[in-house]
Amino acid sequence: MKAPFSPYLNEISDGIRSLIGCLSKDYEYVSIHAADSFGLNIRISTHAKSVSDRTLTSERGFAVRVMKDGLYSEYSFNQFDPGHVEETYRQIKEALDAQLFMLKQCGTEIFETPAIPEEETVFSGEKETEQLPETADTQSIISFFKELCEKGMAMSEHLIDCTITGQSTHISKLFMSTKKDLRQSYVYSEATIIPVASKDGRNTYAYEGVSGLCGPELFKKLEEHLPAAVKTAEEMLGAERMEPGEYEIITSPEVSGLIAHEAFGHGVEMDMFVKNRALGKEYIGKRVGSDLVTMHEGALCADNTSSYFFDDEGVMAGDVTEINHGILETGICDTLSALRLGTKPTGNGKRQNFEHKAYTRMTNTLFDSGNDRLEDMIASVSYGWLLEGMESGMEDPKHWGIQCIISCGREIKDGKLTGRIAAPIIMTGYVPDLLSNISMVSNDRGVFGNGYCGKGYKEFVKTADGGPYLKTKARLG
Amino acid sequence: MMIETVKTVLKELNCDTWQISDLKTEGWEFYFIKNRLDQNRVRNTDHITLTVFMKNADGTQIGSASAEIRQGSIADEIRDTVKTLMERAQLIQNPVYSLHSPKKAEETEKDEADVRTAAEAYLHLLKDIHQTAEADLNSTEIFVEKNTEHLLNSNGIDVTQTWLSSMIETVINARNEKHEIELLRQMRSGTCNEEELKKQIEDTMQYGLDRLKAQKTPNLNRFPVVFRGESAKAIAGWFVERTDAAMIYRKMSSWKKDAAYAENISGDRLTLKALKNLSGSADNRMYDAEGAAMKDLTLIENGIVKNFWGSRMFASYIGENDSFIVSNYEIDGGSESEESIQKEPYLEAVDFSDFQADSLTGDFFGEIRLAYYHDGRNVIPVSGGSVSGNLNDLMGEMTMSAQRQRMNNALIPSFFRLKDVTVTGSEG
Repeated sequence: MKAPFSPYLNEISDGIRSLIGCLSKDYEYVSIHAADSFGLNIRISTHAKSVSDRTLTSERGFAVRVMKDGLYSEYSFNQFDPGHVEETYRQIKEALDAQLFMLKQCGTEIFETPAIPEEETVFSGEKETEQLPETADTQSIISFFKELCEKGMAMSEHLIDCTITGQSTHISKLFMSTKKDLRQSYVYSEATIIPVASKDGRNTYAYEGVSGLCGPELFKKLEEHLPAAVKTAEEMLGAERMEPGEYEIITSPEVSGLIAHEAFGHGVEMDMFVKNRALGKEYIGKRVGSDLVTMHEGALCADNTSSYFFDDEGVMAGDVTEINHGILETGICDTLSALRLGTKPTGNGKRQNFEHKAYTRMTNTLFDSGNDRLEDMIASVSYGWLLEGMESGMEDPKHWGIQCIISCGREIKDGKLTGRIAAPIIMTGYVPDLLSNISMVSNDRGVFGNGYCGKGYKEFVKTADGGPYLKTKARLG
Repeated sequence: MMIETVKTVLKELNCDTWQISDLKTEGWEFYFIKNRLDQNRVRNTDHITLTVFMKNADGTQIGSASAEIRQGSIADEIRDTVKTLMERAQLIQNPVYSLHSPKKAEETEKDEADVRTAAEAYLHLLKDIHQTAEADLNSTEIFVEKNTEHLLNSNGIDVTQTWLSSMIETVINARNEKHEIELLRQMRSGTCNEEELKKQIEDTMQYGLDRLKAQKTPNLNRFPVVFRGESAKAIAGWFVERTDAAMIYRKMSSWKKDAAYAENISGDRLTLKALKNLSGSADNRMYDAEGAAMKDLTLIENGIVKNFWGSRMFASYIGENDSFIVSNYEIDGGSESEESIQKEPYLEAVDFSDFQADSLTGDFFGEIRLAYYHDGRNVIPVSGGSVSGNLNDLMGEMTMSAQRQRMNNALIPSFFRLKDVTVTGSEG
């Protein structure tokens, strides 16, 4: 079935249109981003169970964007009565005028930006799903999660907990301006298994997840991941610490995705170009990786947790080739940054929710597949590590440093896995070195949407990333 | 108005155990590129969250389910939401516990600053930062908000509290004729303390200038490391998390009351206290999110675990019936001084890409953006590579500075010193 667009947003859309009319008397540009998204969040562990409607993207509220004399201002709110539009208009005007008065008193200079050019566009899109989070059979899901939790605990005497989580969000978003009326609805879901093992005072955990552009029906796929999750948690109890040094590595698709995200995902967010915060600006058209490296970014690149019809600024979704056979081609861009840079927005303007500013953000960031087989890649390593499982990463676009926290490494010696494991691992390095050293790329690819992404240490949004197995060199600690 | 409707519906549906939070926020935000205003924003929101609790037939188990009561909902929609929550809560079974009962929090001195005054102070602060051709502000984001929270539950809690919270995030550039570097700082506080923030930003500018001169971090393998700034706070926060009732109940922290947190403590014996109020903190509230009165509470004293803290559910499971969720805390100063740490070579880490200390495993790690290598004779700025280790293994020999500093909600030693940290260099 199609995920239905929010009846609430349909009901108030005439009021939103009227509010735009009121504000247009005072401002050169007016748009309203409205969201009404329902979540389902179930968490079952050995020691505690909970259910709520709160997910990272569940929300109901509005973000008004206006522009006057080159300054863009926003007003976020969640109380709106379409019968009293004039009252909302006055509240917005008074609040923004109060800020402008203070800014003027303080002698603040403005970063002037032209009005957003728009074409008449009317769009309505609803993506397919089998179930909706708001009407899903919660009882069946809870029973299934309890069963998984118990099965997991029975698999190992060392487990002290086995947490099963499932989250599903039915997104409905409306973008309206004087020329645009865009409406979209879709459902994305994700679920995880996190077994926690303990032995001789040492705690370890593993993590397996599934994600997709679909409803809670996705959760059933967790079952096939349970044995691997428990096995890894157990194996980690015997893991050694990594001997610091530079090694040949093979990254699993999940780790490749983390590299894609941290290395060149953040590095080509073009709001960073406006601030002169990204080295990538100087490398457009230049080589940044080996000929085997091709990377795409965009909401249209994959069907996962960040695959929408249009972004939070009313720009239709895209598919950007960022790196083509090692050459950095272009970046991704939100609307205001595009105006400042004299380029086109790419459909990557995203907000954490209606209460937050829109920035250039990633959606699906993916390395293309190659032609190698994983067995051949392992066989080609004289001494190195197969890196599996991602925990976190941090970008450094100004200096092209990279930090990736990786769950574990499996030792490879003379072309064979030895069974020795090191954990956890911090991988650091200089991005162009890491990408230039890519010498083999597997012929498959995975896409992972369980993570979320911050801009620095805040502004968390859903993103997906992935790629094939990659063979390269990196510094591990 | 909406809360009254929710209470009426709860009564009609015979739901007798519930908790409501109504959080109203007025926020002002300013975004700057260099010294020019990129965008200004206002937030004006009201979020009502309802949690309902349902016991099983014999009263040994209780389940809960929560949802936001969305603005714009009419009575019928609220009734549907409550019915759904009651059904869902019945599907969840945790050992039974009761909600907090009313207990008046001690009045504390309140900062009466409002959003506009605090926002104006931040705008003045920006003008007051000494910028030069070598070091300046690349971009700055300012967030000031006033929160008013009304907490109610079915046991009679009905309290309202307000607090001001603010944050400035600034990216600092430093440059020479060859290249330009950046450092990012995110500083939270109650209102704007111009003097304190100005010093932090100007200190960061100096770090930036030092980073321009930085060499590659050498391979030091197992080496003493002094952690300052956010990494010191992450280490301090790890000790707080290890005393969380949820960690204890779930057997993820093996710490026991009246026992030392490590078998052999040859370093400083840590003393940790939860604080109801900490001057300058963005988290000064009289009540926690469940309506429990905040108070001062010793969690660890001279290395001995004294108390645990936590949410009502987990705290009651481990017998802490008068507990609360900690917001502010302090750690007493230790034995070290700026002079005493010079006794042997060490690495002084002041800026990481993202330093993390895992509360479950004890593992810590971070990529070095700036550190100072004290080799016994010289102090050399270094960058690149990483530090890693496990706090469970290293906390026994940990020492701390006698001098303390406040970092938002934490008053902690200015530095923590750990021995045998793995330092992976960035040189070939």
